[in-house]
Amino acid sequence: MPTDELVVQNPLGIHLRPAGHIVRTCSAYKADVYFLRDGQEINAKSILGVIALAAEQGATIGVRAEGEDAEQVIAALKDLFARHFEE
Amino acid sequence: MPGTRVRRIFEDFGDRLQLALISPESSLDRVITTVDVHRPGLAMAGYTDYFLDERVQILGETEISYLRTLQGDEYAAALDRVCQFPLVCVIITKSLTPPEGLLERLERHGTAVFRTPMDTTPFIHELTECLRRAAALTTTVHGTMVDVYGVGLLLAGPSGIGKSECALDLVERGHRLVADDSVTITKKEEDILIATGNELLRHHMELRGIGIIDICTMFGIRAVRAMKRLEVVVNLEEWSEDQLHVDRIGIDDHTREILGVEINTAVIPIYPGKNLSVLSEVIALNYLQKAYGYHPAREFNDRLKKWMKKQAELRNMHHHDRE
Repeated sequence: MPTDELVVQNPLGIHLRPAGHIVRTCSAYKADVYFLRDGQEINAKSILGVIALAAEQGATIGVRAEGEDAEQVIAALKDLFARHFEE
Repeated sequence: MPGTRVRRIFEDFGDRLQLALISPESSLDRVITTVDVHRPGLAMAGYTDYFLDERVQILGETEISYLRTLQGDEYAAALDRVCQFPLVCVIITKSLTPPEGLLERLERHGTAVFRTPMDTTPFIHELTECLRRAAALTTTVHGTMVDVYGVGLLLAGPSGIGKSECALDLVERGHRLVADDSVTITKKEEDILIATGNELLRHHMELRGIGIIDICTMFGIRAVRAMKRLEVVVNLEEWSEDQLHVDRIGIDDHTREILGVEINTAVIPIYPGKNLSVLSEVIALNYLQKAYGYHPAREFNDRLKKWMKKQAELRNMHHHDRE
């Protein structure tokens, strides 16, 4: 079960639009994806879950994926975070 | 702090801790209110000003071998110094023999007494971990929490099965939304769970194809509530051929454990066209009827049995009637 860390880099943090990108990215994969922050674990395919993290710029989020394409979904997320959610 | 029944520790962790009960069965109903443990050696030796009697007491080699050095009145006094307190639970490690007179003294308080073959120090570590787990007071579950006729329903099931739509329909019918997507459950008392939503998301909902909506401003204050006691879990499942676990008669009540509390559950198989909101209302009303002492399926079963008995008697009468 691969795990990794994601750092929020865009100035506005994970607001609605980035949350939409994250959910859409994860939903393209079969694996279940979970985000972990401050002891709170959420389903990364849920918009409300991702927003609930209220992850501001600089925040570090733990990510855990389960399923056949788990490695790929984490790589895609790292790429998305690195691209500042295309903002 | 709400506590954990000794019975639950024994049932859930008895194997892991290798516990053997040596006090009466009724002592399992005592409640442990702290995850810490205590060794009563000092109290035995005479210092009882500060004694943590609400903790689980561990009798290891130290305590037992100290008692062995005493005789007669001295021995009895040492034991009494500890047993004067209304102890909840005493555990003897290393399979040591319980000191003579201990069980009799503790029976007065209804103390639960166990033996374990484990060594004292590793045992204390394991026990603390188990007590900590049993005492967990909060958890987050994926689902939608609604108040239907005053009954707290948690709609659970995989993403996309229709939990939010069901809640929306229920709100339209005059019921109230507590939380959507992620529900935080907190144990308030031995058997009471309170469900609430995320403070930031408060009564917002995400609907595929529409996006984020605010139930409170859209439907008004009557459509929401901040928290609600969790009373029934409604498990929504995709319909499949294998439905052996779906109840068809309702005589038995099914439950699921959340934070050590048994919560009523209903499994609802879903297929297109199913009216989930009506079913949710019926689940709530059925729960209320049972809570008020009327169990529809059982009452009907009694009627059915009486009916059949009467039929059999009648047939018997006709059969023997040679007139």
